[in-house]
Amino acid sequence: MTSQTPFLVLDHVSKVYRRNQSLIERIRKMEEGGTKAVSDVSLVISEGETVGLVGESGCGKSTLARLVSGLMAPTQGDIVFRKDPAGKTPRLQMIFQDPYSSLNGRWTIEDIIAEPIKVHRLRRGRAAIRARVEELLVQVGLSPTDAEKYPQEFSGGQRQRISIARALAGEPQFLILDEPTSALDVSVQAQILNLLRDLQKNLGLTSLFITHNLSVVRIMADRIGVMYLGELVEEASAEQLFRKPKHPYTRLLIDAAPNMDTSDRSLHPIAGELPNPAFPPAGCRFHTRCPFAQDVCRTAAPPRKATPEGGMFRCHFDLDLSKEVKTPPLAKVKTA
Amino acid sequence: MTSVVNTPSAVRPRRSRLSKLFHAVCYAPGATVCAIVILLMFVYAFVTPLFSQNPFEFAGMSVLDSFIPPMWMEEGMSDFPLGTDDQGRNLLTAMAYGMRTSIVVGILSVVIGLVLGGGLGLIAGFVGGKVDAFIMRVADVQLAYPALLLAMIIDGAARAALGAERNVTTAITIVVLSIGIAFWVQYARTIRSSVMIERDQDYVSAARITGRSNLSIIALHILPNVMAPVLVIATINLGIAIITEATLSFLGIGIPVTTPSLGTLIRNGNNFLQSGEWWISVWPCLVLVLFVVSVNILGDHLRDVYNPRLRGRS
Amino acid sequence: MTTPLLDVRDLTVTINRDGRPITALDKVSFSVNPGEVLGVVGESGAGKSITGAAIIDLLVPPLKRTGGTISLNGDRLDQLSPKEMRRVRGGKIGFIFQDPMTSLNPVITIGRQLCDAIETHLRLGGNETKRRALDWIARVGLPNPDVQFKRYPHQLSGGMRQRIVIALALCANPSLVIADEPTTALDVSVQAHILQLMRDLHRESEVSMMLITHDLGVIAKMADRVAVLYAGRVAEISPVAELFANPSHPYTRGLIRATPMPTADGGVQLDQIPGAMPGLGAVPPGCAFNPRCSRAQSDCRSVVPPLVTQESSAFSCFHPLERDVA
Repeated sequence: MTSQTPFLVLDHVSKVYRRNQSLIERIRKMEEGGTKAVSDVSLVISEGETVGLVGESGCGKSTLARLVSGLMAPTQGDIVFRKDPAGKTPRLQMIFQDPYSSLNGRWTIEDIIAEPIKVHRLRRGRAAIRARVEELLVQVGLSPTDAEKYPQEFSGGQRQRISIARALAGEPQFLILDEPTSALDVSVQAQILNLLRDLQKNLGLTSLFITHNLSVVRIMADRIGVMYLGELVEEASAEQLFRKPKHPYTRLLIDAAPNMDTSDRSLHPIAGELPNPAFPPAGCRFHTRCPFAQDVCRTAAPPRKATPEGGMFRCHFDLDLSKEVKTPPLAKVKTA
Repeated sequence: MTSVVNTPSAVRPRRSRLSKLFHAVCYAPGATVCAIVILLMFVYAFVTPLFSQNPFEFAGMSVLDSFIPPMWMEEGMSDFPLGTDDQGRNLLTAMAYGMRTSIVVGILSVVIGLVLGGGLGLIAGFVGGKVDAFIMRVADVQLAYPALLLAMIIDGAARAALGAERNVTTAITIVVLSIGIAFWVQYARTIRSSVMIERDQDYVSAARITGRSNLSIIALHILPNVMAPVLVIATINLGIAIITEATLSFLGIGIPVTTPSLGTLIRNGNNFLQSGEWWISVWPCLVLVLFVVSVNILGDHLRDVYNPRLRGRS
Repeated sequence: MTTPLLDVRDLTVTINRDGRPITALDKVSFSVNPGEVLGVVGESGAGKSITGAAIIDLLVPPLKRTGGTISLNGDRLDQLSPKEMRRVRGGKIGFIFQDPMTSLNPVITIGRQLCDAIETHLRLGGNETKRRALDWIARVGLPNPDVQFKRYPHQLSGGMRQRIVIALALCANPSLVIADEPTTALDVSVQAHILQLMRDLHRESEVSMMLITHDLGVIAKMADRVAVLYAGRVAEISPVAELFANPSHPYTRGLIRATPMPTADGGVQLDQIPGAMPGLGAVPPGCAFNPRCSRAQSDCRSVVPPLVTQESSAFSCFHPLERDVA
């Protein structure tokens, strides 16, 4: 695994959202404050791999997606894609959460899907482009006749399929998925996830999958990063993360989501409230809610520790959190 | 409960253009009447001059026929259905010429306001930051002056700069420019706020990731999505522009008296209002009111149709 | 056999679109027993929220109740005048909305809002009302009630706001609380808190609850019985353990299997249901689920299956799934 050239390297990436300074602050030349949405995140993605990012709102996962996509520039750190032999950076595409705002309502489906093809000149001539659009529509489970329609004529799930077709039309080497199924109903979400899994398998895409849903990321990702208040607190292979989490937050997050087991109806809330991301606690950011917190956690930021299995976590202690694990390891995924 | 409204409806049968028009008429009978009134007035203003002598040219005047009242009054003549003015001009045809000038001035000044305000609003909304702040502060300063006063200032300044020697075309150009510049702020503000909303939509992000340039994103993605509310304002502003033109002309600083416009006609008639020849000013006033009211009702209706809150997702 | 607290029979709601009535809820029947938590589950457009709104007469036009009976403790709610209904709303029936931001008045302090709710329905007098309000702020788990009393909704986090909404729903000692997606807008860790709070308060006060949600995990942890809605009709009503272990309606099983959840044998399931739920006015003849159902036969395509009761469950399906012998 490690012998492969990394496809994408995030090197100590931070992003600060500056807030507008008041006149007095500007006159006094006070230091610019702001919310550190992403704080010192390092991550490596290999070719053909899907890396998942999970976390609650305000953890910086969507900001990280926008940084990787190039929509925003990081305040500190570097985001480096591997260049191909010709020296070009790989083509990116992104699939968004909101199936309503991600399609231009005044364009036909054909125009929407054809846009990346035309921009990148992947096909020449009207007929060739039209044929490619129809091929893509079929590939995502829609009908070729849908090409003439407008986005308003489709449901949320169908619009998400159109978004996927548009992303595939750009023949991307790297795909960013920002909560692609969060706005969808359960049965439609399953359809979209299955479609994305098939595409992953058949096209060998490298991708970054962002979600707040641990079960979804477990299905979709090879490796998973857990984010809390802008920091990447743990990163491990999907199986490892669920079987032997090393960071208390990961453990608690896994337990907090209610599962469908009706024999054990206990709930597992995480103590306390999510702190304001603009003012993260000193020391370990999770110490205000952590059941294992000691004095050292309140003062010193935990170091980045590597695991023998190739993951990493940020915690002062090397806790054994697998004992509380009630969910067995990921064996196989059933698909229809 | 919104989920109910947003549920995609069953396949809606595609309607033909004719039946679409029919549905629109049934849906809004008031706006339809106004549209017909506006259409008739356009026909009146642009077709009448093709068949009649311009009453403001020497051949169109006849002092012998001056002050003839409308035809249904005692001294009325069927040759002049609405009567004549002090120079013996046929008011029915004079008003057609006047309407023509007013409409042309109105439309041209709206176009100038639209292009100027739209362009500045687009830049302000898309670029943001200091550029946005500068443009919008200028707009704020301009808003502190009544539009009419501003048009008078611009008009006066232009006249001073060009000197007294000027022909009718220059005068009309000055009026068009001053009205257009006086009204750009409204377009700029509307476009700017719409652009700021659209700029952050995911479809714009998608286009950017795909590699579109800013210019093509503006032209292909953002402009089509922000034009609807602006066109509605433009419709309503057409009425205001025509009133402004009439006001300027009435005050004697707009279109010269020698050229017919609704404003000059009213101004001329005003001189005889006290002496009993009411028809000279009342007819152009009525035409002006009818036209502006129709334009406003139609504009209101268009605003309802394009209301972003009503522009549902289903 | 206990007499139900809330009994809904053949509730029908239509929506008027271009002068044509379209059925949004089609003869929905269910009941809530005293002290019970009834989970109402379904995908968006299934009619879960409409059901909740119809019970307390809060349907937004063009939605309109056109048939059926609703009784609370034997009193017919559907025959009350708007004035009498206002007394029931917030009094006998509390309501918890999905979005805590919009269900609280942003310009009134939370203390004032609580006092108003208590005073309107209980008429206790100034001091006692304030004491109760402070008591409720403490009961829903907010620190320093005296300080919170004077705060405005925007000064609280989403989770704290939802706690206040819960206090508002419960402060008039209602006999039934309708909670419409109470945790959907919240993060996972906050959601568990709110569910825990609702469970604690439910145990203390013995209030009956109608929990409307799309999240089967929430249902599994909170509900005693579950009603599954599909396209404005009841697909199945079963005790919660029964529903997850032995669903009768093919849609129920499809919904359970489509929810990505770690399963007992260690996998993560992900079975999809083909197609999508029919939109309003596009419900096919016969069983609404028939185009997506692998068990559909000719009778499913022509006749609407009635809700039949079998032991503790009820389902509307001609070809129900066989019970596994557990």
